[in-house]
Amino acid sequence: MTGQAGRTAALVLDRASVAYGDVPVLEELHGTVYAGEAVALIGPNGAGKSTLIKAILGLVPTVRGRIEVLGVAPAHARRDVAYVPQADTLDPDFPVSVEQVVMMGRYRRIGWLRRPSAADRAQVAEALEQVGLSGRARDRFGTLSGGQRQRVLLARAISAQPRMLLLDEPFNGVDAVSQHSLLEAIAALKARGAAVVVSTHDLAIAHLACEEVCLLNRQQFGFGPTGTVLTPERLRATYGGRALELRGDRVIVTQT
Amino acid sequence: MSLFDPFHLPFMARALAELVILGVLAGTVGVLVLLRRLAFASDTLTHTVFPGVVIGYLLGGDGGIFWGALAAGIVTAVLLTVFTHRRRVSEDAALAMLLTSLFAVGVVLVSRQTGYTSDLTAFLFGRVLTVTQEQLVQTGVVTVLVVGLLAVLRRPLMLRAFDPEGAAAAGVRVSLLDLVLNVAIALVIVAAVRAVGTILVIALLIVPAAAARALSDRLMVIVPLACLIAAAGGWLGLAVSFDASIHYGLRLASGGTIVLVLVVMYGLATLAGTVRRRVPLLQGGRAKEGARLDEPELEAAR
Repeated sequence: MTGQAGRTAALVLDRASVAYGDVPVLEELHGTVYAGEAVALIGPNGAGKSTLIKAILGLVPTVRGRIEVLGVAPAHARRDVAYVPQADTLDPDFPVSVEQVVMMGRYRRIGWLRRPSAADRAQVAEALEQVGLSGRARDRFGTLSGGQRQRVLLARAISAQPRMLLLDEPFNGVDAVSQHSLLEAIAALKARGAAVVVSTHDLAIAHLACEEVCLLNRQQFGFGPTGTVLTPERLRATYGGRALELRGDRVIVTQT
Repeated sequence: MSLFDPFHLPFMARALAELVILGVLAGTVGVLVLLRRLAFASDTLTHTVFPGVVIGYLLGGDGGIFWGALAAGIVTAVLLTVFTHRRRVSEDAALAMLLTSLFAVGVVLVSRQTGYTSDLTAFLFGRVLTVTQEQLVQTGVVTVLVVGLLAVLRRPLMLRAFDPEGAAAAGVRVSLLDLVLNVAIALVIVAAVRAVGTILVIALLIVPAAAARALSDRLMVIVPLACLIAAAGGWLGLAVSFDASIHYGLRLASGGTIVLVLVVMYGLATLAGTVRRRVPLLQGGRAKEGARLDEPELEAAR
């Protein structure tokens, strides 16, 4: 689908409602994200940010309206979509090396039986290079810091050469170096034409890395260019008023 | 004590062969049980396979045991997969009641037999010294099938164990994969039931894998090491129980002796693992080096 100014729509939310069984989680979502752009999903805990990401992956059903990913239904787009979970949800004792984790991103291309080719290995090395962890390839995943683990998971996504990247709270508890490295790698993916969906509590990051913002709390409180949508009024509406503090012209989310 | 002489006796040789094959099977599946933290599911399976064994025995004699165990194991594996995916396993009181009931059904059924205590002991603790040629073939076939299947599925299995959400996002059919692993665990129990019994098989699944994990951080090492430890535990256990009864007049049940040998090996492996991590102090030193490496990066970030 080609929108205004010849941009390609990567993600289309068309009055979409998402539900777990009979329990509606998100209702009436409406907006478009174009290739090469990023959207920040912003809202309090329990707002349905992770659920929207799962719906884009086709793991949670769209009960009304339509979600279109790279021009097709979500479940059919998975080959070109990479998902980055929160690093601290993974078992740090798992006996797997950094390199092996990144290679998981290649599994779909390698298949079940074939050995990883030289091209697969080169992709893995390049992805690790992009997140600045080339020197840690042979270390056990669990020995890295939280921020470094998050970078490894991003490298895994990069090695899959995705056209869309989904990140669930990638900046939670991440040190400054890792945050910088994550932002750079995300910018590189966008430059290559990938669309990015990132859930975050950090409004500064939304300003820094995302063209679009989607304000969520069970329903949509705004979807559009970051500068116009991230207003104190809309944030107050999204967070229910109490969780925000205004300092001059800056809005700070004090409670997640 | 001799480690080789006893196995010139045909029944001891068959017992050894059975335990070595089972070691490979249980070692491989055990690593997945460890990684997925499925010790509880495995325990569930041992409880439900027991009545299957008894019913199989009542219906078809010795030859019925395998098929009764197989039917019960596969039914449980399917139910367990369904329950886990509907998040019902947290109702653990109900589950514990169900398991004990099924176990009791087995005990009641077997108590109607004339050789009650001897049958019960055999089903619970196994009779490795009476393993037949046919059982050896059954165990071998099950081992080849299960190890082959898990080898083919190793990538999705590893991804699912490490990152279940990431696996689902990558298009892995997680529930189907879980069913495969639960059936594989059931098959280990079924294969091991006559040799080591339904109670002791859990040790064969868990102890060698845990010992191997203590010794290495790499799966490519852990899996063969777990197989080796399980097989070595079987061999040593047999040799010790044989030696005790022949030379010291001590009757040590071979199944129990094997488990105790495995536990001793686990203790030694943990000790060796701790020493390996402490002594060179390389690991700790490397972590610090990693932190220092970050500093030039920090400069670059500014």
